[in-house]
Amino acid sequence: MTSETEIVENLNSKFKEAIVDANVQRKARVIITAKKDKVLDIASHLKKELNFDFVVSVCGLEMPQEDAFTVVYHFWSISNKILLTLKTKVPKESPEMLSLTPIFESANWHERETHEMWGIKFSNHPDLSRLLLPEDWSEKPPQRKDFTLPR
Amino acid sequence: MAVLRISWGPQHPASGQMRIILDVDGDIVVNAIPSVGYTHRSIEKLAEYRRYFQIVPLVERICNLDSFNVTLGYVQAVEELMGIVPPERAQFIRVIMSELNRITSHLYWLALFGIMPGQPTMLMWPIADRELFLDLAEMVTGSRVTYSYFIIGGVRADLPSDFPNRALKTLDYFEKRLKVYDKMLYRSKLYEMRNRGVGIMKKADAINLGVVGPNLRGSGVKVDTRKDEPYQVYDRFEFEVPTEEVGDAEARAKVRFHEMEQSINIVRQALGMLPEGPFQVKAPFRAPPGEVYKKVEAARGELGFYIVSDGTDKPYRLKISSPSFRNLAAFPFLMKDVTMADIPVIYFSLDPFPLDIDR
Repeated sequence: MTSETEIVENLNSKFKEAIVDANVQRKARVIITAKKDKVLDIASHLKKELNFDFVVSVCGLEMPQEDAFTVVYHFWSISNKILLTLKTKVPKESPEMLSLTPIFESANWHERETHEMWGIKFSNHPDLSRLLLPEDWSEKPPQRKDFTLPR
Repeated sequence: MAVLRISWGPQHPASGQMRIILDVDGDIVVNAIPSVGYTHRSIEKLAEYRRYFQIVPLVERICNLDSFNVTLGYVQAVEELMGIVPPERAQFIRVIMSELNRITSHLYWLALFGIMPGQPTMLMWPIADRELFLDLAEMVTGSRVTYSYFIIGGVRADLPSDFPNRALKTLDYFEKRLKVYDKMLYRSKLYEMRNRGVGIMKKADAINLGVVGPNLRGSGVKVDTRKDEPYQVYDRFEFEVPTEEVGDAEARAKVRFHEMEQSINIVRQALGMLPEGPFQVKAPFRAPPGEVYKKVEAARGELGFYIVSDGTDKPYRLKISSPSFRNLAAFPFLMKDVTMADIPVIYFSLDPFPLDIDR
């Protein structure tokens, strides 16, 4: 069993420059913020060294007064029973990052959904075609905050 | 022979609108592409425009076969965010209703799964017995499918005084019926021929694909949120997490069957231990800024709610990670190099629910 604090310490020492913020939220919850270009390495480390088994969810997030979208990955470890939240920022003008699907096959469909709902491109992803939206959808990605619903 | 592309659905191959595009070479399926989104309602976006307490009836529509479990997931997440703990009686009532709902949902699956290999009786019986559980839900909540019974801070109303007796009676009857199902379906030759060895997903594959719930446990992985991260009062009951090693359609069906037995067991214990007291506490309108990821074990598997709050009375972002969506990955994996006749077997053995996939 690896504890929450051990995971934070391990990641802090292994990826010193890439980790912006790492903390234990509560029991079984770890939140990591990392730089975009190192996310793939961190994910690979999570799988090989820290026993994280699959991606639970991937989603986009747009915090106010920020010039970037946040991509949020949630990983679950069966043996340690810990949920790790990995956040990374992608710039709004060119929202693009490397896909984690080559490492975690379970990220595949979640990234596809995030792609169409947020317009975030995951390069290296095997198939980013439409999933939930209609085939003729031509408006901006609907989960973004500037896509507003009529009141 | 040339490969032919055919469309399986979207007009209801099972329950709800979903399509699977199949590339067939003669009778052999060489490739399957799930095509979903026909029932997409954008619940995540709609939630950003509603107050926390108004979202309960909205999230319920994610999976209306499993409303109690879905709303439980949502109210739990909000309660953690707001830092309130519902009274003990409310937690017991929640467990009882959620487990009854697990049986209701599995019975609906059993009916579809039963008729698939050609046993129409197995469509009639589970649907008829499911009525008894809907009656129980109606007795408590006033409605039969979408209840909005769990609210932030507890439950909407107390249990009627004659509920425990009636529930125990129903469970006694249902326990006998399960034995009949076992004989009628699980031990029939037809069932064995259609399901054994079909759609095999090994342990490593299941983990790699990220499938959840009975599909994961059917491949021998003992993962159950009720045990891994006990919520409400689940840590006070003694129950097993059924698993099977083989990972074929039969294994997944067996897991669901044994889960119904365990649900009976949990409800009986909970009714025996049901404490007196208040059934709700007052909940605030606003949630403090922060984020929470909370999950429940719904009938189809682990269901997660990720809520980001900016301190107002509406969620800044609500992300739903639904079990059927996560099980989607298993479709193209399993529907490869199988015969056309195996497609419905694999489809029903995974128990997908299109509304749950699309959200």
